[in-house]
Amino acid sequence: MLLAWLASAAAVAEVWQADQNSGTLRFVATQAGARFSGHFGAFSVQLDFDPKDAANARLDVRITTQSADTADADRDAVLHSSDFFWIERFPEAEYHAAGLKSHGRGWLATGKLSLRGVTQPVDVRFELQPGPEIYTMKGGATLRRLEFGVGQGDWASTTWIGDPVDVAFDLKLRQATAAASP
Amino acid sequence: MPARNTADRYGSVAQTLHWLVVALLIIQFTLARIAGNLPIGLDKLVVLARHKSVGITILTLAALRLAWRFYNPPPPLPPMPRWQAAAARISHSSLYALLFAMPLTGWMMSSASNYPVSWFGFVQLPDLVSPDPALKELLLEVHKTLSKVLIALAGLHVAAALKHQFRDHDGLMFRMLPWRHR
Repeated sequence: MLLAWLASAAAVAEVWQADQNSGTLRFVATQAGARFSGHFGAFSVQLDFDPKDAANARLDVRITTQSADTADADRDAVLHSSDFFWIERFPEAEYHAAGLKSHGRGWLATGKLSLRGVTQPVDVRFELQPGPEIYTMKGGATLRRLEFGVGQGDWASTTWIGDPVDVAFDLKLRQATAAASP
Repeated sequence: MPARNTADRYGSVAQTLHWLVVALLIIQFTLARIAGNLPIGLDKLVVLARHKSVGITILTLAALRLAWRFYNPPPPLPPMPRWQAAAARISHSSLYALLFAMPLTGWMMSSASNYPVSWFGFVQLPDLVSPDPALKELLLEVHKTLSKVLIALAGLHVAAALKHQFRDHDGLMFRMLPWRHR
């Protein structure tokens, strides 16, 4: 039992973290034929990663849905409402992936996103640039908002609000001090 | 009717552009009024998207009119008191200025509120300013005020044409109409 715990602790060698103060998490959607972008002002990212053991890596992301900000109060109010993120009922969106696959010069996470009470597989692609005590993590994903019920009633029309939404992040991950020494 | 202006009337190019802009302005004020009375929702988004597309169309036509005017100067005004000729020049140039200022302030307002403009869904226009809610409120006031000035000047323009037609009986109105003055 103890040996098993030690073995798993050794496998999760490095825990890297980021939040809204160490990077950006943006989304780009389409309305009336024009692409616009917004960002999330509150989120946390945790990457348990050993480059030699990517199959056992973990990526865990939590996003506060109320922090969705598109620089327009009216649109943000709609985005927070039950027709879109329904922040009262679903205050957080979560993404969890176990294991990373090498993908081009970067990595591919084939995890699941839980958003507005729906959990669906979403592929996230990103690159990791190692630096002194830091990883720069850059990448993104494309998801279909209607798979998650984001946009109810009239808003489900894809004529005026596009279904695909691009998500992009640019983060500086730092090693978690507490978890770094098991 | 010749395409180019003659000594006593506008040609078909100038007339077509003039009346096309008149029709689009009527549509434009109607869309603005409808949007103003709609609650926040998809319908409002759709009406405003059309309003923006029509506005960009008017901006393009205004540029074409101005270019054509340089290439093919308007016929000289019929004999009239000097103050009337001056008033005509000032009101015509003010109307032209508004045909540019209205769409440009609207376009800037769209950029400031992070609602980029798409021309009927065919092409997305670049943003003129960065998202800025305070600037958006200011531009909205400017846009509304200019629309009132435009209504007042257009009213004056029509009143002057009618006055020449029915009080001075100088046939000035036929300069901008396709059929012949008796």
